[in-house]
Amino acid sequence: MADWDSDKPGRDPYGSNLTEAPAVDARRTQEVVEEIVETGAKPLGLWADTWRRLKRNKLALVGLGIIIVFLCVGTVETVFYQAHWHVRSSPDTRANQRVPGYLAPYDPNEVNYALSPQGIGSPPSWKHLFGADFLGRDVLSRVLIATRIAMLVGIIAVAIALALGLLLGPISGYYGGAVDSVIMRIADIFFAFPYILFVLLIMSVLGQGFQNVFIAIGVLGWASFARIVRGQILSVKSMEYVEAARAQGAGDLRIIFRHVLPNSMAPVYVAVAMAIGGAIATEAALSYLGIGVQPPNSSWGLMIAESVEYLAAGNWWWLLFPSLALVATVFGFISFGNGLRDATDPKLKE
Amino acid sequence: MTAYIIRRLLQLVLVLFGVTLITFSMLKLVPGDPAVALAGKGATNERIAFVRHQRGLDRSFYVQYYLYVGRLFHGDLGDSLYSGRPVRTLIWEAAPVTIQLAIAAVLIELLGIPLGVYSALRQYSFWDTALTTAALILWGIPVFVLGYFAMYIFGLKLNWLPIGGVGPTVLWVIPSSWESLKTLILPALTLGMIEVAYISYMQRASMLEVTRSDFIRTARAKGLSERQVIWGHGFKNAVIPVMTIAGIDLGALIGGAIITETVFNRPGIGQMIYLAINQRDIAVIAGGVLFATFFFVFANLLVDLGYAWVDPRVRLGE
Repeated sequence: MADWDSDKPGRDPYGSNLTEAPAVDARRTQEVVEEIVETGAKPLGLWADTWRRLKRNKLALVGLGIIIVFLCVGTVETVFYQAHWHVRSSPDTRANQRVPGYLAPYDPNEVNYALSPQGIGSPPSWKHLFGADFLGRDVLSRVLIATRIAMLVGIIAVAIALALGLLLGPISGYYGGAVDSVIMRIADIFFAFPYILFVLLIMSVLGQGFQNVFIAIGVLGWASFARIVRGQILSVKSMEYVEAARAQGAGDLRIIFRHVLPNSMAPVYVAVAMAIGGAIATEAALSYLGIGVQPPNSSWGLMIAESVEYLAAGNWWWLLFPSLALVATVFGFISFGNGLRDATDPKLKE
Repeated sequence: MTAYIIRRLLQLVLVLFGVTLITFSMLKLVPGDPAVALAGKGATNERIAFVRHQRGLDRSFYVQYYLYVGRLFHGDLGDSLYSGRPVRTLIWEAAPVTIQLAIAAVLIELLGIPLGVYSALRQYSFWDTALTTAALILWGIPVFVLGYFAMYIFGLKLNWLPIGGVGPTVLWVIPSSWESLKTLILPALTLGMIEVAYISYMQRASMLEVTRSDFIRTARAKGLSERQVIWGHGFKNAVIPVMTIAGIDLGALIGGAIITETVFNRPGIGQMIYLAINQRDIAVIAGGVLFATFFFVFANLLVDLGYAWVDPRVRLGE
């Protein structure tokens, strides 16, 4: 059976969204060659060319900046989190409140009722820039620590999805026929569920907890990567250089992973950027619904869920700051992904 | 067209088979003996064994799946493990609330089409940049975040609109009073705004691509007025793919509606699933998910058939 809608553009449930660009555009190659001949300039590599075009897209650059900042915060917190707070919470270092060199100014789980006299937290002040929550915990520290979980979920879940997609997509596209039909029909079934509901269903079987969030998001994401890679491979596999490789006696595996895949990756990178943003948003939604990260751990979604119980009391800071972090991160990945797509799409070349 | 419809229906059967197989497996994978739960508190062993046999729970996986699908054909989604009420009844009560929100959001979503066209026709102008940036930011905002901010500002601070609940309706979904409509405004705008952003972004991209194509140049060359070129040729071709995208995006809309309900405390399918998750009531979760998925699958079928009907390239493409 043929595949009806894999080439349709649209937001798939995983948050990635692409029209599959042809991997090589002969006309464009011709133009580039002429330009080089005329100007005597050195040819730009794929990445140099992409960067040159990406640089002009301010939104994409803002996105990239946000990604770098949050990745750095997440990395620092991941590397130093355990050791740092272990030392801090031991009784003899209790007096030494600030340990220089780390990002979170306070212990994110330290309860301090003095900061929450009426049980509704306290507004931002110079000592607590983002205010304190209902248990008197420092909101800034909790937002920073939650960055770690958001980044971990984004990267690990998408890595799982990508690994599955990069395994099944090439098999489907390269071999075609019955194998292709079976894999793509299974992908259709995964696309049939409204995405967040599918995640909820899986989570309600796996049980709450953030390790299960990795699994649920990762396992459900393979289909969109598989589809993208398959489409790319279909457009690349009949090219002459693949035939040349086969004529030289290269095996299927070598052709797929040495020749075809490297020339099919640009849309995959775009999808990865979008998918990380989508995974972070999904983790937040799950934690908000109470089946993702569990208290007393900190997650942006969980902080939002905790804060809204007290929203009528007017404590906006506790809702605002985790929301800002969440929105900025998701925007960063989506905007960078969009820019990357425009920069790698030969059709949009001026 | 007939061949296309047949192919599409075959695919539908396959998808529904897979979807029901997955939800059934989920029901089986949940720890705990459903027979014990179904038999009720303090049931004797004989009673449990009777229920197990009566519901076919002592049969093989395949037979149980067969029985499950058979029950689905009769609209039997099982009973809630928590309240004991049929899941079908729960869905029947909750569905109009969700459908009302979804319809309102779709109506708002359509605003994205003129916005996208405007952006595309004035590419790189101030308003284009502003709209595109706003669209990208909105696109990245989780619906519950936008919902709580809307609730905080318009509900709690300005006190313009109620922060939750639903009002009386006529014909299941149409609000019958101003008060009833007011409960719908905030949730519908919350959900609709995010979709507007997405649709306008897609409409802009589609319009830009179409206005650069050869047939537009031909239309200009043969002396058509700019209005005829843009609306008669350009817009018509640019809006079709966006309608398909809107169809695919219905999944995101349904998911968004589910979350929006938990924000604004609307007793729809989403609220039902949310409560069921807290009660570990897998029968209700699976029933709700299955219902929403069927809705999504059939809506997509209609969109695809409509697309094939207006655009022969789709049905002749294979």
